Amino acid sequence: MAKGEILAGYLAPHPPHLVYGENPPQNEPKSEGGWEPLRWAYEHARESLDRLEPDVLLVHSPHWITQLGHHFLGVDKLSGKSVDPIFPNLFRYTFALDVDVELAEACCEKARARGLVAKMMRNPKFRVDYGTITTLHMIRPQWDIPVVGISANNSPYYLTTEEGLEEMDLLGKATREAIEETGRRAVLLASNTLSHFHFQEEPPLPEDMSREHPFSHEGYRWDMRIIELLRQGRTDEVFDILPQFIEEAFAEVKSGAFTWMFAAMGYPKLPGKLHGYGTVIGTGNAVMEWNLAEAGMARAEAAA
Amino acid sequence: MTLAAAFLVPGSPLPYLRKDNPPWLGLAAGYEKAARALAAARPDVVLLYSTQWMAVLDQLWQERPRLQGLHVDENWYEFGELPFDLSIDTELAQACIENANALGLHSKGVDYDAFPIDTGTIVASKSLDPEGTRRFVLAANNLYHDFETTRRIATIAGEAASTQGKRFAAVGVGGLSGTIFREEIDIADDRIASDEDDRWNRRMLSLLEKGETQEVDRQCAEYVQAAKVDMGFKHLAWIQGATGGRYYGARIHAYGPTYGAGAAVVEFKV
Ligand SMILES: [Fe+2]
Repeated sequence: MAKGEILAGYLAPHPPHLVYGENPPQNEPKSEGGWEPLRWAYEHARESLDRLEPDVLLVHSPHWITQLGHHFLGVDKLSGKSVDPIFPNLFRYTFALDVDVELAEACCEKARARGLVAKMMRNPKFRVDYGTITTLHMIRPQWDIPVVGISANNSPYYLTTEEGLEEMDLLGKATREAIEETGRRAVLLASNTLSHFHFQEEPPLPEDMSREHPFSHEGYRWDMRIIELLRQGRTDEVFDILPQFIEEAFAEVKSGAFTWMFAAMGYPKLPGKLHGYGTVIGTGNAVMEWNLAEAGMARAEAAA
Repeated sequence: MTLAAAFLVPGSPLPYLRKDNPPWLGLAAGYEKAARALAAARPDVVLLYSTQWMAVLDQLWQERPRLQGLHVDENWYEFGELPFDLSIDTELAQACIENANALGLHSKGVDYDAFPIDTGTIVASKSLDPEGTRRFVLAANNLYHDFETTRRIATIAGEAASTQGKRFAAVGVGGLSGTIFREEIDIADDRIASDEDDRWNRRMLSLLEKGETQEVDRQCAEYVQAAKVDMGFKHLAWIQGATGGRYYGARIHAYGPTYGAGAAVVEFKV
């Protein structure tokens, strides 16, 4: 079997507003649109993903929070109707997905070998979280590529941010090993928003874009600083200031997806492609891509 | 005043799904005593607040007349499913929403098919009302609300029930000390994660038992900090608010571990 590779990683945030704005047939509520720049950013990401023709999409979501270790979806097929508990008015989505259980099991084993607590979720009636579903819809609405779903262990919140993110780093490295050994051509999805302060109330018409803007100047400044570093491939600097960013901008990257993805990719100093940035009820969201295949880095050895 | 009963109960699915596991026998039996007490109190409605129903934007209230479905806990899925079938007192929920909004506590009803019902709400409602004969008002835990705001919201709920002439029970669903074991354990060996957590839990339960409400208020913040109490012990704020503080002690039906975290079944003497 050929050695597997990570073709690309995407920062792929999951505001359900983007699905709502798009009006896909799977989503019950209907809108007049809204958040177009972010949705157009996702259109670009969809096109590049399509060209990569990956075997599998791996997604780490902050809305499957687990206390006892890192969990992986471990059932061949999962389906149902996902209603966002925070925005049930916007997101009531009927989904069906296929899981790459073999790869999930390999990730789980590799994570254990690195000393993490890791578990396979085997209950077929399990409800997949809305973060996972939103990210997957936005990047691949056809639902024709198998998925590995990974929970967000609460260690960054329960322990310190640094201790928690160290676990995510190990999880990323384990994920890479599993991809390589199973021969998969994989794409990673970090389902994270950047600055995460948000408005406390929704406008009467949620898609009224005259009401949409960054929650704060500070949060916006932080997002621009991080994006600019990422665009320049200054990955080390991003990870140096990540805890401060998390603290000062309440950034959702605290939950670990972003660190997991970069660890799996070997923290490449590859300039990230920004497909777009926009706010959703004041939070900062960037759709970004690190196309390792295109850069000839998919097979490069990861940093230890 | 039409307060019929008040309970503080755990939202962990573990003692509910594995009643036969020795460390969880006590909690399961405690829940049975509480269920008998609730049946004897014959409330028209149960005002239930679960720390696990998390909201962010507004104070949410369930407004769907009947909630049916099956839930799988996101952490403890291997122990089984949680089917539910709940009836909601929508007239009272509507009054709670209106009254809270009038007082500037932004509230909204939710009435959606397949809206995710949290584990705590299911465990508590099924344990306390196994026949499914009661009607409920379900309130969410807004993560931005503090203890005092939660108490105010609960007060509104209790008063609205009284205004509608309904006998009500108040139920706060949540845990005590919040540290769970982060490594897998044999569930037959479950215990409170640390002696300090255990001491704190016992101290707080003893204050509740004796009805030393001022001491509870005085020590609550320190307890929350020291023992990482589930969601700042806001489920106690719910009891305090809904009952208007009208209880004079409590029976501790059970106290025990749920994978290291503390849990208790407490019936207040009203
Ligand atoms: Fe999120």
